[in-house]
Amino acid sequence: MANEMLGYDDVNRCVLQTLTPPGRGYWLGVGGLGAVVAAGIATWTYQIYTGLGVTGLRQPTMWATYITNFVFWVGIAHSGTLISAILFLFRTRWRTPVYRAAETMTVFAVMTAGLFPLIHLGRSWFFYWLLPYPNERWLQPNFRSPLVWDAFAVGTYFTVSWLFLLMGLIPDVAAARDATAGWRRSFYRLLSLGWQGTDEQWRHFSTAYLLLAGLATPLVISVHSVVSWDFAMAQLPGWHSTIFAPYFVAGAIFSGCALVLTLLIPLRRLMGLESVLTPWHFDNLAKVILLMSLVVSYAYGTEAFMAWYSGNPFERTTFHMRYWGPYGPLFWTMVACNCVIPLLLFSPRIRRSLAALFIISICINIGMWLERLVIIAGSLATNFMPSQWAVYKPTWVEITISVASLAWFLMWFSLFAKFLPIVSMTEVKEGVPWLQQALQEQRKAA
Amino acid sequence: MESVCVTGCFPEAQACARAVATLHKAGCNPLWVFSPFASQEVLEALEVTRSPVRLWVLLGGLFGCAAGFALTIGLSAEYPHVTAGMPIVSIPPFVIIAFELTILCGALSGLLGFLLQARIPRFEAVPGYSLRFSNDRFGVVIHCAAHERARTEAAMYQAGALEVTCEPA
Repeated sequence: MANEMLGYDDVNRCVLQTLTPPGRGYWLGVGGLGAVVAAGIATWTYQIYTGLGVTGLRQPTMWATYITNFVFWVGIAHSGTLISAILFLFRTRWRTPVYRAAETMTVFAVMTAGLFPLIHLGRSWFFYWLLPYPNERWLQPNFRSPLVWDAFAVGTYFTVSWLFLLMGLIPDVAAARDATAGWRRSFYRLLSLGWQGTDEQWRHFSTAYLLLAGLATPLVISVHSVVSWDFAMAQLPGWHSTIFAPYFVAGAIFSGCALVLTLLIPLRRLMGLESVLTPWHFDNLAKVILLMSLVVSYAYGTEAFMAWYSGNPFERTTFHMRYWGPYGPLFWTMVACNCVIPLLLFSPRIRRSLAALFIISICINIGMWLERLVIIAGSLATNFMPSQWAVYKPTWVEITISVASLAWFLMWFSLFAKFLPIVSMTEVKEGVPWLQQALQEQRKAA
Repeated sequence: MESVCVTGCFPEAQACARAVATLHKAGCNPLWVFSPFASQEVLEALEVTRSPVRLWVLLGGLFGCAAGFALTIGLSAEYPHVTAGMPIVSIPPFVIIAFELTILCGALSGLLGFLLQARIPRFEAVPGYSLRFSNDRFGVVIHCAAHERARTEAAMYQAGALEVTCEPA
């Protein structure tokens, strides 16, 4: 098909063939992920039963791996909204076959992120204390606390991301309904809400989708800004910084776009999506990653400059310890992964090599996770009191739960990709002329 | 008087938009158009007005904003807990909660508005619908009296329809 002119029915055929009943390999993979998730749940149960002492959380580092995971996964979510909403508003042509996977990633990443404050709470069942609710003593949360802002911001982001994903799915699920039979047809029929693509339906759909994109755009920026204020509002050296909001938002988009690559490259191969996901799309995504890498590198430089220029001895010491103290190896690994390796993307050849992009994307993910750990645990570990300084080391409990969270995310993503259209057929059809052009370029390059 | 639905099938958005304009000139007003994606050309040819979903979003957003300020100011005044010397009613942090609720209520209201305006869920088939309209074809449906069927079909073919079908309205 990739050698012929791409028609609307080719797009449907290409995407709908991903929904064929999965084989044994798929179920083994999902089963394996489910087993890791089960191990994570068992470990969490053990932690609840025994107490948070089974983790490496000790004074002064009371926020570490769990909060790092929370910030990492919230950050991952952001690029999905960037690709699906912000680039939609800018009418960016290359986003059409990429955005559904990115948006799906957003929803499951927020779902994963939301678990970590609960796990970190210790007594997870009291999470609702963060929300205002009627109670006999009329106690209310402190609305001036960033943690309460977080609950509202992440809750809103989770809800709006789901709405955006489900709404965009309606016309595609209707196409799946019309091309399948049996229980799948009934399932898609229910999910498509009886969509038939009349002009009236499209008229309201287009407006609602555009406005949801318009609402999601400031939301995504606000959410990671609020997450960054969890730290910036504290007076701890290394946290108390005015650049945290844009710095975190840039980092979020950077890591999220990298994870989109990590997910899409194997997905394209495994699901036979070569006709709709071309190197042209990956090339454009790589350019966004390169830009965000430069922004993040600039933020690292600004942070260091501010610590030096402030003349504040506590700030200077924190950054000195970050670079040359026990967290130094992690910091320099992070610099290599986030600032140096992405520079390879200046080469068009590397931007079009899927193997190279896959490796770079994994390096970025590792680097961005380390960045959060260095900021969170590293700053706490070297607080105002040198007598309290200590090096944080995660225990097997935190490592198991962290690995299980990755499995949890991949499990939901795999299930979605096999049972719902992972590429938006309607939007790809709108962009068929540009896709044709990309396919021609791909053929020439081959 | 018996009436029928005549459905013309078109291969592309441009052809469909042209057909809508041609049929309109010929005195046959399309009842509705099916399309596999949101085609601006088709919507412009149909001269549709702007969707009222905008209002739903606006009203939902305004409600969310008001609710956000009412919630934070009201509950802080009811439970006056002084922290770090900050005023009980501190507008800057409350703006964050009000902003999040503006987005949340705007989005929920927009979704509700879309469902109500687009009249979904609706599980019975719209007359003239074909499975190809979610795949690669555009459909123009005209509602006419049974004795005008031949004239309408001819107009459809003249407008470039690949095939024309007819069913009772």
